[in-house]
Amino acid sequence: MNGICKNIPRAANQGLAGCHVCEKVSLISAVNCPRCGTHLHFRKPDSINRTIALMIAAAIMYIPANILPIMSIRELGVTTESTIVTGLIQFWEARSYPIAIVIFSASILIPLLKIFALIWLCAAAKGIVPHSAKILGKVYWITELLGRWSMVDIFVVAILVTMVQLGNYMVVTPGPGALAFAGVVILTMFAAMSFDPKLLWDQLEREAAEAESEKNTERE
Amino acid sequence: MWYRRFGAVDTTSRSNEITRKKLRTRLSILSWPKPKGGPHHAVCHFCDTLHVAEPIPEGSRVDCICCGATLFQNRSASLVRVTAFSVTALFLMLVVHSAPFISMDAGGMRTVLTLPGAAKALIDDGSLIVGCGVALFTIVTPLILSGGLVYVCGPLLFGKSAPGAKMVTRWMSRTEPWNMIEVFLLGVLVSLLKLGHLAELHFGVGFWAFAALMFCMAAAVAAIDKRELWDRLEVAGAP
Ligand SMILES: [Zn+2]
Ligand SMILES: [Zn+2]
Repeated sequence: MNGICKNIPRAANQGLAGCHVCEKVSLISAVNCPRCGTHLHFRKPDSINRTIALMIAAAIMYIPANILPIMSIRELGVTTESTIVTGLIQFWEARSYPIAIVIFSASILIPLLKIFALIWLCAAAKGIVPHSAKILGKVYWITELLGRWSMVDIFVVAILVTMVQLGNYMVVTPGPGALAFAGVVILTMFAAMSFDPKLLWDQLEREAAEAESEKNTERE
Repeated sequence: MWYRRFGAVDTTSRSNEITRKKLRTRLSILSWPKPKGGPHHAVCHFCDTLHVAEPIPEGSRVDCICCGATLFQNRSASLVRVTAFSVTALFLMLVVHSAPFISMDAGGMRTVLTLPGAAKALIDDGSLIVGCGVALFTIVTPLILSGGLVYVCGPLLFGKSAPGAKMVTRWMSRTEPWNMIEVFLLGVLVSLLKLGHLAELHFGVGFWAFAALMFCMAAAVAAIDKRELWDRLEVAGAP
């Protein structure tokens, strides 16, 4: 019963659905939104399954994204391959701590936190772990907000590949890790988009209803 | 508050063409009109709580009574601000793509960074998909967003809806999460720190235009509530 709002009407219980695109509230029997034509549904379709499938794909992609080089640097005939972690270590050793922290958060921390946050959210929505919907709602909001920032490493590769074209002196070329990492970012963004936070409240409502019926049977 | 003011200029109750024209222009100056019918509802995106959406004064915000998430806000001078910022953003995009962004002198050679150049360099070096992604997130998406906002909100300033405005608005809400210009700017700063010790770097006009573009895009997107935009489209009679 933690945090559930009592005696407040919920749209789905009244047969009403808010349009995801234009926010107009209409009866679900209308099938398509009368204002913008988007298909209406109470909850995002197949939300948890889709989120989990995308998360698994992202978690698998996360391994090559960190092992494979995101770029290779050919300097005076010597080629060194750079992964996300070695790039990070370079900044740390050069005592550029603020930038090392930024790269660490964007490339390692945010993707991992996103994967764990979404697993937690899915487990909570399924009723596997107890939860406060208010706090998890915030977790979801932050997850959605931060996702894009992981793309920073891909942009760094793009910029270095463009600018470091100095003939025999130094050349940077993109590596296969860049594709894998971009895949992780895009997959986690899609995973966050397909999760429906309303399911967290649905689960609380179900738990409350169960507790209520148990109480009633005890009284009888 | 403004509901009463708006009630006095209900376009549907009068048939006279001249007054309707006058009202249309007044309508654009007034804030957030309500579509016909009602009561209007608002559903919280997070907890599905059903609210009756009462008109609110400019500059204020309505939060969900259950979970506290923002339901909608009535931005002041929303249409004027959206149009102004998105027109500026379009102009800045022109500057970003035509003026030098950053140039680097090293080893007797000069390389210049441009946004399309960055995408092209990746594609040329065999990373077709990543290159297309970079182009999509930093060139195409901002263009769709700001161009779309000008196309939709410009005519709405005069109480009219552009042909296909609803479709354009749908596309804008679809592309919005993929607009990554601020992330690209962070990428530029990180790369500069990587390159700083190795070469001489010059900031071009394009770089400053890009920084301004970031602010204009953020301001344009934040200047109007999605619900207000769609209400205005409905009132303007978009098909
Ligand atoms: Zn709709
Ligand atoms: Zn709510």
